[in-house]
Amino acid sequence: MNYSQYTVHSPQTLNEALGILKEKQSEVRLIAGGTDVMVLIKDGVLKEKELLNLSYLDELKYIREDGNIIKVGALTTYRELEKSSVVNLSAPILVDACKTIGATQIQNLGTLAGNLGNASPAGDSLPPLYVLNANVKLQSAESERIIPVSEFFLGPRKTKRAPNELITEITIEKAKPGLHYFFKKLGLREANAISLVSVACIVDLDKDKKINSIKLALGAVAPTVMRAVKSEKLATGRQLDLNLIDEIARGVSEEISPITDIRGSTEYRRRAAYGLVYEGLYEALMGTAKRVSGGIEGVY
Amino acid sequence: MKVKINVNGEDFASDVEPRLLLVDFLRDTAGLTGTHVGCETGSCGSCTVLLDGRPVKSCLMLAAQADGSRIITIEGISKGESMNRVQKSLSESKALQCGFCAPGIVITASWFLDKNENPDEGEIREALSGNICRCTGYQPVVDAVLKASKEVK
Repeated sequence: MNYSQYTVHSPQTLNEALGILKEKQSEVRLIAGGTDVMVLIKDGVLKEKELLNLSYLDELKYIREDGNIIKVGALTTYRELEKSSVVNLSAPILVDACKTIGATQIQNLGTLAGNLGNASPAGDSLPPLYVLNANVKLQSAESERIIPVSEFFLGPRKTKRAPNELITEITIEKAKPGLHYFFKKLGLREANAISLVSVACIVDLDKDKKINSIKLALGAVAPTVMRAVKSEKLATGRQLDLNLIDEIARGVSEEISPITDIRGSTEYRRRAAYGLVYEGLYEALMGTAKRVSGGIEGVY
Repeated sequence: MKVKINVNGEDFASDVEPRLLLVDFLRDTAGLTGTHVGCETGSCGSCTVLLDGRPVKSCLMLAAQADGSRIITIEGISKGESMNRVQKSLSESKALQCGFCAPGIVITASWFLDKNENPDEGEIREALSGNICRCTGYQPVVDAVLKASKEVK
């Protein structure tokens, strides 16, 4: 295969990487797991002629607990998240989402920061990050800043990351034990398929099934992943029953702004979003939805 | 750029172009052509190899990204001329037809069975979901892997 010529920089430390980025800025394309970038190279549509290979930055591969927060190093792979005990106990919705990304071989390579940096509205790890109140840490040679994931994306393939910055860490809030959650995705097949619609939801129900709080985030239905804030608001404090489920699901399908593309039409996506939200909340009502197991800090 | 990659227990050191794919390193530099190149977009899985013990698609990686790692290819998945239980079962069941996808399926299934003692059909299908086969319709492959799971390693 006659790929065009690239220069590859392979820094061994974060400082070295930030130094290269300071000098090269948007001349280099960041590559971590490579599961998106390599396809662009193959298709001959990558405009940068230099790659900044982040594979060797072991200092960005970690999952750490810090009180109510889980800190995830930018280069942590989907597989590592799936295998992490703390993520399984306190952020299992992210585990469910990672398991739907590509297939085994992709999950072993792809990284959380890669899914953020790639900024596809259909990135499957992103809706869970929205409902887990994730923050994205950006570092440059000079400074660092932290942006809530909900403000990180500007549009398809566009983020607030400056050309001299690197995503170095993602922090997520632990979900409280007992909360109901679901991640549902619709695609052409279960593996290796880009989402047509995806939904992440965490809902806090009291023992009489009244909604104390609900967070709903959707992928592939707007220029960026979005929270369905109007629907969340109309649901909060109300009794979960079939009528309310219909009302919330309808609200969500109206609140989103999907486009028609090769994978599906606007109208289909609205109906699909309705269906996924309905199904998930129905399971919560019936008591068959998954729940956060939690686990007390330090007693895993 | 200089890379050193251990393939099936043997070190291959070479001065390669930075753009060289891992799969091309394996086929052209190491001379191991058992790893097949299919879609080159990470969809088909025929180029699957074990990178430090985990299945990855070698068309989605640069050789430069695998510097210092240990790779197992189809040539190294069993000892010498013998076949491992997945290979035997696929062969005995005549589970494959054209065989283009076979190296990737053997690698993925062997890794999966090493980690899972008594998998059910659903788990096998999930494990193999990143390996596309255009001949068999998958059922004979899944049956053969299920049969292999019951054999002693």
